[in-house]
Amino acid sequence: MRRIVLWAAFTVVGLLAVAGGLYYGRQAPPPDRDPSAAVGDAAPLWALALPDLRGTDQALEQWRGKVLVVNFWATWCAPCREEMPEFVKAQREFGGQGLQFVGIAVDEPDKVRQFATEIGLNYPALVGGYGAIELSRTLGNRVGALPFTVVTDRAGRIVYRQLGPMKKAQLEGFIRQLL
Amino acid sequence: MVFLATSTGSAPKRRAPERRICGRPPRVGWAAIALAATLAPTACLAATEADLLPNERAFAFSARGVDERTVEARFLIADGYYLYREKLRFALTPGQLGGVSLPVGQIKEDEFFGRVETYRNQLVVRLPLEAAAPGRSVTVDAESQGCADIGVCYPPQIQKVTVVLPMAGGGTGPLIEAAPQKKSWFK
Repeated sequence: MRRIVLWAAFTVVGLLAVAGGLYYGRQAPPPDRDPSAAVGDAAPLWALALPDLRGTDQALEQWRGKVLVVNFWATWCAPCREEMPEFVKAQREFGGQGLQFVGIAVDEPDKVRQFATEIGLNYPALVGGYGAIELSRTLGNRVGALPFTVVTDRAGRIVYRQLGPMKKAQLEGFIRQLL
Repeated sequence: MVFLATSTGSAPKRRAPERRICGRPPRVGWAAIALAATLAPTACLAATEADLLPNERAFAFSARGVDERTVEARFLIADGYYLYREKLRFALTPGQLGGVSLPVGQIKEDEFFGRVETYRNQLVVRLPLEAAAPGRSVTVDAESQGCADIGVCYPPQIQKVTVVLPMAGGGTGPLIEAAPQKKSWFK
């Protein structure tokens, strides 16, 4: 008899814990949480300007309002090169609806230019040094590896981050959601 | 489908719940979903990111003085990771590095760069000094660049270790790690 009471008590406590967690989880995150979870984490992105392949500085702010896919990559990163033809296709197909890819290459301009020509790159290729990797850390790339991709919605918020290659299904998924 | 309200902490009026767009659909039970609801970051990361090691742990460098004119450099490469032979660079200070002989690695065909050679598991390289310097403290700078099989590449990194060259006839010195493991609950 006492055992049943004990089990009932545990169950009630357990349910209260879950309910409490669900309730408090919907409040504002406590200040010591991972800062990338807070609104405003897109700020480093909108403040960024990098040179394109002609050497002209391009501010990312100019693409605010689009569904922006910022892809950090390098020619020395084979998985990065492998996913880019899909991006080229998606840019061609959905560019008219407001999808915009921007590549940030952690690389030498000559190598970027060569590869861009090879794959018929149809979106901006900006060139950053290793500092660009440091910047990607502020956007959530904890490990500092490539490829790293962030996606913003039309309101300018980061809604998706991915470290590692983007599968076609994932790309289609968020394109459908956001466009 | 689980709709999660993302909270800004600043908007007083109710916002329509935003659907999190994740890399992989959750294959979990209700309890875990309830738990996930309490965590609710604004944007989710693909499952792979949590498993990836930091650069210096994926390719952990160490070195030791082998004799009065030789340093032995060692990379301990985690499972599922590999280093490029082409990107290896070593420097010894003070002193002059002699000829370095690298072991044969695995050959891969890279679409852009052609034939590349990679190393897995462990790489041991002897770094000879031009002149013997028994008892001298020598700093080894090791530059390397590697990738993980799951499909990411790390930027090049330089790891440093200072070792003491043994006296002539003395035994091999202790192995010194560049990035000693820090034990922590948090990465």
